[in-house]
Amino acid sequence: MIYIFGGLLIISFIKQRDVLLEKKMHMGLFLVLSVCGIAIGAVYNIFPYIPSIAYVLEKYLK
Amino acid sequence: MNKPLTMRQVVLTYLFISLSPVLRQIPTALAGEAGRSGYLSPFWSALAILPLASIILLLIKSYPGLNIYEIMVELLGKFIAKGVLILYIFWVLFFLSAKLNAYSLILQFTLMPKTKSNYFILIMFALVYYALYRGTRTIFRFAEFTLGPIIFLISIIFICSIGNIRTDYLLPVTSNNLPATIKASKSVIAVGGNLIIALFFADELAISISNKQKRKFYFATVGFVGISFLITVFTFGITGPSLTATLPFPFYITVKSLSFFNVFERFEVIVTLLCVLSDFVTICIMFLLLMRLIQWLFDIVKREYLFLPLAVIVYYLTYLVSSTQFEYDFLYRYLIVNLNLVFQYLIPLILGLLCLIKGNNMRKKQY
Repeated sequence: MIYIFGGLLIISFIKQRDVLLEKKMHMGLFLVLSVCGIAIGAVYNIFPYIPSIAYVLEKYLK
Repeated sequence: MNKPLTMRQVVLTYLFISLSPVLRQIPTALAGEAGRSGYLSPFWSALAILPLASIILLLIKSYPGLNIYEIMVELLGKFIAKGVLILYIFWVLFFLSAKLNAYSLILQFTLMPKTKSNYFILIMFALVYYALYRGTRTIFRFAEFTLGPIIFLISIIFICSIGNIRTDYLLPVTSNNLPATIKASKSVIAVGGNLIIALFFADELAISISNKQKRKFYFATVGFVGISFLITVFTFGITGPSLTATLPFPFYITVKSLSFFNVFERFEVIVTLLCVLSDFVTICIMFLLLMRLIQWLFDIVKREYLFLPLAVIVYYLTYLVSSTQFEYDFLYRYLIVNLNLVFQYLIPLILGLLCLIKGNNMRKKQY
């Protein structure tokens, strides 16, 4: 999935390049959010059985 | 021509997005906390939802043509307003992830148990992308046009079920049950707070609000309470409160047992469809909110390019937030309900109080 999202992000970048290159803030936001998404995806792919937030909360609250 | 949103579209969208939690979570939560008397809780929730409606109308009337961010800037200053926006962004991200999880779990539970949840989520993203591409107004108009047939379908289901409702599942209820019903109303209040979407889209509404529009707003809150009450009575009366408390989707199971004069059966597919449609509109609205919040936070004009990176984040957060039905139920009961109360009630309440105080000060200055 992460490769599909990576590809879609590149396609989106190419399609929206005029808007993204118009302002530094647009480009910055797009890059930061894309990197965040891919990083979370990488964590999920490396540790697919990582305990979820709900599981951790359940463990500590009960 | 870029027409403004109407109050009618906003209130119907509010009812539409509240539909899936009303069908899915509210009966279970009320049965679990208040038992047989749980169906009375929606009435108590009106005591919180109606004041929220008044606060929202007060803010819209006091700051015509301004959205929640601009109102916060006026009342709290830019720095604090941006801080609150960041909190709202985290809340919407969390809410969106949980909503996607609930949507995929419902499809697995009802129709396609062997299909992986990522297919459902990707299809939803494609639909949401198309809806957002068509514009904000399209989403509101979709909700406006679809709610009528949905209410009609629910009415048919309700008529078919009247003969099956068992009064011994609903009565007797005594005054001893009232404290439990008041406590349980928290679940209904947390869903009713969706009314806050009016503040986020207040800048797209017409500048002045007429008395007719105000009546529509209050009518929507009363409608929400009525729908919650009917769905809960219907579910408790057929399935029984003890079984309802343990089921993940009691309304679905309830409808499964119905037939229309033994001719038409299997209405439960309609219930799944209603939930999916409601989830679709909710996810569209939440994505819009998320993109608008980021737009306000960074003072940018265009926001279309934000969808895909945000979709990637939300997709993976869906798995990191909760992965099973049990985890989702826990999350909803202990976290989502409480977070909703903070972001849908506490913050607007603070804004409403500040608006009243500042309004009085301004009037004194003018005098």
